[in-house]
Amino acid sequence: MTEVKLPPIGEGIAEGEIIKWHVQPGDTVAAEQTLVEVLTDKASVEIPSPAAGVVEALMAKEGDLVPVGHTIVKLGTGAAPVAEAPAAANGHEPATALPVDAPRPTVLEAISQTILATPSIRQFAREQGIDLNRVPGSGPYGRITREDVVAVGAVGAQNSVPQPPTPPMVTAAVPTGATEERIPLRGIRRKIAQQMVKAKFTAPDFFYADEADMTDLVAYRSEVAPLMKAQGVKLTYLAFLVKAVVSALKAYPEMNASLDDDAQEIVIKRDYHIGIATAAEHGLVVPVIKHADHLGLRAIAQEIERLSTAVREGKATPQELSGGTFTITNIGAIGGLVCAPIINHPEVGILGFNKIYQKPVVYQGEIVPRWVTTLSLSCDHRVVDGAEGARFVSHILQLLQNPKLLLLE
Amino acid sequence: MYDVDVVVLGAGPGGYVAAIRAAQLGLRTALIDKAEVGGVCLNCGCIPSKALIHAAHVLHQMQTASKMGIHATGVTLNLAETQTWKQGVIQRMVNGIMTLLKHHKVQLIKGTGTFSGPHSLQITTSEGSQTLSFGAAIVATGSSSIAIPSLQGPDILSSTEALELQTIPEHFAVVGGGYIGLEIGGFLQQMGSQVTVVEMLDKLLPAMDPDCVRVVERQLKKQGTQILTQTKALGYEKGYLQVETPQGLQAIRADKVLVAVGRRPNTRNLGLENAGVAVQDNGLIATDLQMRTPVPHIYAIGDIVAGPMLAHKASREGIIAAEAIAGKPAARDFKVIPAVMFTDPELASVGMTEAEAKAAGYTVKTSRFPFAALGKAVASNAPEGLVKVIANADNGLILGVHMVGAEVSNLIAEAALAIEMGAVAQDLALTVHAHPTLAEALMEACEGVYGHAIHAIN
Repeated sequence: MTEVKLPPIGEGIAEGEIIKWHVQPGDTVAAEQTLVEVLTDKASVEIPSPAAGVVEALMAKEGDLVPVGHTIVKLGTGAAPVAEAPAAANGHEPATALPVDAPRPTVLEAISQTILATPSIRQFAREQGIDLNRVPGSGPYGRITREDVVAVGAVGAQNSVPQPPTPPMVTAAVPTGATEERIPLRGIRRKIAQQMVKAKFTAPDFFYADEADMTDLVAYRSEVAPLMKAQGVKLTYLAFLVKAVVSALKAYPEMNASLDDDAQEIVIKRDYHIGIATAAEHGLVVPVIKHADHLGLRAIAQEIERLSTAVREGKATPQELSGGTFTITNIGAIGGLVCAPIINHPEVGILGFNKIYQKPVVYQGEIVPRWVTTLSLSCDHRVVDGAEGARFVSHILQLLQNPKLLLLE
Repeated sequence: MYDVDVVVLGAGPGGYVAAIRAAQLGLRTALIDKAEVGGVCLNCGCIPSKALIHAAHVLHQMQTASKMGIHATGVTLNLAETQTWKQGVIQRMVNGIMTLLKHHKVQLIKGTGTFSGPHSLQITTSEGSQTLSFGAAIVATGSSSIAIPSLQGPDILSSTEALELQTIPEHFAVVGGGYIGLEIGGFLQQMGSQVTVVEMLDKLLPAMDPDCVRVVERQLKKQGTQILTQTKALGYEKGYLQVETPQGLQAIRADKVLVAVGRRPNTRNLGLENAGVAVQDNGLIATDLQMRTPVPHIYAIGDIVAGPMLAHKASREGIIAAEAIAGKPAARDFKVIPAVMFTDPELASVGMTEAEAKAAGYTVKTSRFPFAALGKAVASNAPEGLVKVIANADNGLILGVHMVGAEVSNLIAEAALAIEMGAVAQDLALTVHAHPTLAEALMEACEGVYGHAIHAIN
């Protein structure tokens, strides 16, 4: 019998969530055949079978978080009887024959047996109406802490087990009308929820916005974009912004940083890896333009296009979706005068790029139509102070308003 | 308006505990039982057997203390007097429960209750019959010994009757090698009976850790108990129990025969059908995690629902049911229920056995520590015993702990806590245990999981 363990999926990735089983106990599988789809912090990965054989048991359920190295499938030669996955057991014990010869210690399955939470935390979760099966544990060996329960509660996770407390003496049937729909918090949605809670509860953020006059940049881009297009490069405003942001990060290194809470140290990053928050089919992901400081405008534009295609087709790798040092969220394509983005923890800043539009502006003493946009910055105030954040945005504004300067960067 | 908010049917360790908790939560509560409060556990089970076992143990120790320089002569045990003392123990505990019920204003009705409708109970007392309407009910009627049709007569005893014996039978047979049979057979042997245990299966206590069972079996035999496995009891006649062994038919001398082959849930003749509650083919009642039956205001706990028939399980389920009725978010989500057996030496177990853990797909690491290497055990003249820890080899998480030896019924509590808390063996290994105590055995066994117990050759 072969025990198929969850292989290392990516650097620094300790666990994966079982999204979808592609096999069932009893199935005959070929080597390299996909066994299961696993979601990591960053992307979903298909795990192939290391050998041919017959699936004897699945060792995790869809939705389970499985540590790397943990057995996920038992693969047999096909000769052995098919074992039942223990994870499939639920609260009901088999109807045993009557005579009990000994007081057998019994393992009950109110919550998944693999869940580690102390009795008081289990009680607390019930009081909060939170199903521990859906709470990722942050403690040792994946133990669920009180804070983990609070965090899940904060994003409004819904309970399923145990039943909502029944008021005393009520015998009426539970109303069956579907006045709400309950969707298990799973996969990328769960990751987003956890990440946002962590960011919002960890970083005391401040928000700053300023308006950029984009008229010159709009003129410049309309000049060069067709030329680039002829070369197969889609030159977007975002590429200019990435360029400007890298310049500003170099001028204000505290913006390109993180806070190591345990060590009580601010970590200044020497790499300039710019994440671009991107709406994907199942939710938000952040593909990262690595070493953006070494790339020219054309290369940045190409990298943006390559990554966005990969995300759209679901082919982005965990490596491509992690490692950012600063994030830009480009909401402008949809609209918006201003936004207050949530920091992509553990980074310390995120820049919102809003729509570029024409409006009447007093320019050189006259009211004229000008192209403008708003840059919205959220900063972790533990690391970055307000004045610094404002100067950082001003630096970007200067470059966007003077494309000739930007090109010198 | 109902007569009471909650009626609890059955005043055993599940029912009376449920009634007290319901009353604590402000519910008007009635508790119905035809017998004394405390149920089988207090009146004819756990507590009386422990009293008799203790008495037998004291006797046995006095008789075997000569190597410690204690030469007791003329030591005798008068079982009738022991029974009187035992009865005092029971009475004292019954009185305690009565005081608690009174204090919490639980209405105690001595009678037989049957459901006459979803919200009404017909109660027959010595004064007559009455109807009690209730908002919610907790069914806690427990279980009874299973009799064997071919074994009938005045010398065939149930466990209840065996615990009432006034004289020590010269020859005693136990049909059923489970914990009840071994506890009662064990103390009668120590009191002077020649005991034979007859078990149909090929070993005693098949679901327990085999290493631990072996120690008990060895001690039983050492004390003179005869154990016949793969043996079937056929009938009883004129002081002899006829059995069929693998070697053929045999007659075993037995002045009295205890039948302890199991217990069945008491779910018949309760009128449950009148309340709409279905009883499964195996006699059990299905419940959810809050002990609620498919009829949502009727709850069932203890021996009549799935799981081991143990008093402490019933008590916890009673609390859960009472809290659920009061609208509290209680649920049956304990990971493990410890099991203890008062053989000599004692057996205790919590969580998975090695075989169960392997069957569940774990790669296990087991570690054993013998009582013989424990100063306190040897100094107490109780070197027979061991502690066995079953840990997940991947991370050291404790999956099960099995013990045999003196006082292990107390030691197992630490292991149960460890499992509920999600402890790894290292947590217990690094917890300083007082010396010299028997509890050190668990610490050492946990050290052994990592291959470095101090007082053992790992």
